[in-house]
Amino acid sequence: MRSIQRRLSLGLISVLLIIGLLLAQSSLWLFDRSLRSYLQTTLQDETQTLLGAVVRGPNGLQLDERRLSAAFKRPYSGLYFRIDLAAQSWRSRSLWDREMQPAERAGLQSALSDGPQGQQWLVYRADYQRYGQPIVIHVARDYTPMLNSFRQVQKIVLGLGVAALVLILLLQRLIVGRALRPLEQTRQQIMQLQQGQRTQLDQHVPQELESLVAQINHLLTHTEDTLKRSRNALGNLGHALKTPLAVLVSLASREELKQLPQLRESLNGQLQQIEQRIARELGRARLAGEALPGAHFDCASELPELFATLAMIHGNHLQMDWQAEPGLRLPWDREDLLELLGNLLDNACKWADSQVQLHISRQAGGYQLLIEDDGPGIAATQRDEVLSRGSRLDEQVAGHGLGLGIVRDIVEAWAGQLRLDESPLGGLRVTLVLPGKRT
Amino acid sequence: MRLLLVEDHVPLADELLAGLTRQGYAVDWLADGRDAAYQGATEPYDLIILDLGLPGKPGLQVLQEWRAGGLATPVLILTARSSWAERIEGLKAGADDYLSKPFHPEELQLRVQSLLRRARGLANQPQLEAAGLQLDESRQTVKRQDEEVQLTAAEFRLLRYFMLHAGQLLSKSHLAEHLYDGESERDSNVIEVHVNHLRRKLGREIIETRRGQGYRFSGDAA
Repeated sequence: MRSIQRRLSLGLISVLLIIGLLLAQSSLWLFDRSLRSYLQTTLQDETQTLLGAVVRGPNGLQLDERRLSAAFKRPYSGLYFRIDLAAQSWRSRSLWDREMQPAERAGLQSALSDGPQGQQWLVYRADYQRYGQPIVIHVARDYTPMLNSFRQVQKIVLGLGVAALVLILLLQRLIVGRALRPLEQTRQQIMQLQQGQRTQLDQHVPQELESLVAQINHLLTHTEDTLKRSRNALGNLGHALKTPLAVLVSLASREELKQLPQLRESLNGQLQQIEQRIARELGRARLAGEALPGAHFDCASELPELFATLAMIHGNHLQMDWQAEPGLRLPWDREDLLELLGNLLDNACKWADSQVQLHISRQAGGYQLLIEDDGPGIAATQRDEVLSRGSRLDEQVAGHGLGLGIVRDIVEAWAGQLRLDESPLGGLRVTLVLPGKRT
Repeated sequence: MRLLLVEDHVPLADELLAGLTRQGYAVDWLADGRDAAYQGATEPYDLIILDLGLPGKPGLQVLQEWRAGGLATPVLILTARSSWAERIEGLKAGADDYLSKPFHPEELQLRVQSLLRRARGLANQPQLEAAGLQLDESRQTVKRQDEEVQLTAAEFRLLRYFMLHAGQLLSKSHLAEHLYDGESERDSNVIEVHVNHLRRKLGREIIETRRGQGYRFSGDAA
């Protein structure tokens, strides 16, 4: 989708261009018309003066030169006349060698006619009856100065218009930018949401966004609640299944059954399968995966507790360290990450001689998690086997693998990668590369 | 060793009771969270096994109340909720260990043993050792200079308690409180008889009598 800002700019430009051009052109036209109608009266006056200059002389009608204005005498002065009588025709000296074409009808001619030296004439024709004969007087005035000034005005208006357009666009950007700031804020908050830096959107938004933000927030709480509820239900289900299973496991190891080793073995085997299946499926069902955009894991507050728990389980003989940049928050659900790290670290603690290390770092496009120990490690040839073991549920062997089943489920849900290699500490190094969330 | 088992699932509780009793522990059993919150805080238990899904009051809350009340008895949580987030919750509430269901009875026994030793500061011993004696808890026998000595159940219980509290002065009533569950009749003469049996088997000097005060198991204080 194109940005709203761009759309608004394009719309505004086109509307302003059309209206501006229309307005400029029509005002020029109106001005032209009023100028012409003003000139019409002056030209009319000229014809009357000329009519007054037609006098009866000794040789019939003649033009009284003294009554003519000087402009008619100077060649190409810009003011011309032509007087047509029944038998003869006079024309102004200013016409010099140029002929003035008679107009077809009386009054101001709407079209300009061509004059000498690139002049454009505004021609007025007046019909009179004097001395018993019709007298037709044409008066022409050079209109080019006006046209030139019109052109100049056009240029100025164009320049002003362009300047105004630029100014308006700048202002529009500013105003729209300001008006859209809440949108931009919401967009950034959604990004923060996806990076796990907040769990809800800010409710203080303009009216137009209120329902959207409220709806998103509602969805977030709803998803979180659903997840919590289903986790709780799974917990209850697990409790309901595992407690009788514990009874069965206990019964199967009774003294009486020691007499029947085959029966005991097959009972134990089946019970173990049920147990693993339940554990794996419940574990998988508990995963939040990508469901919660606001989920996050605060390393500085969660890791010390996890390590304290591990220390309690494995005793205090291990030296356990974790490193992560201060304030690092991973954009995944807390329980999922605890499950992932808990299982991997638990394994590391089981095998380690004295040292277990966790290193979390931010990388281009994601995060890298390193879990290392100084235990015996896994031979290079067996690493693939360990990784693939338990990829099918019925292949799983309890206590022998690395308990990687749930770990792999989680990593898959996050589209991450899991690698095993040798640690500089001497034992196994598990490398997790997790891509950051798409924004 | 006197244990409190808090578990609402009766068949499982029966199994655990039978197993733990075979191991020579005196076990009291409660099924309700409210009872447990009260009794756990008032009776002198050496260890508490606590299920989290309890009627009356959730197990975690019971545990929090105990810890808030200053109860230092080691608590082993027994639960079907085995996710790491829940484990962390449990240990934050003050648990000392966490065993998820289903579990092997031997696993529980090992955890109980190691918790009891840890509570006495004897963390990393595979076997309980004190005053030149080695106690084999699974076979309920004691080894003294490569010579194995058989013990009766009562003797084993008493010796284990002594070995876990080596060097400490223990009164008869204290011993009775920690060796018998809440329903047994406590007769301090019985303890005297067992102490004499142990002396006969392991040597007079092993348990010292302090008139009017009680007994002291010799050997270094752990």
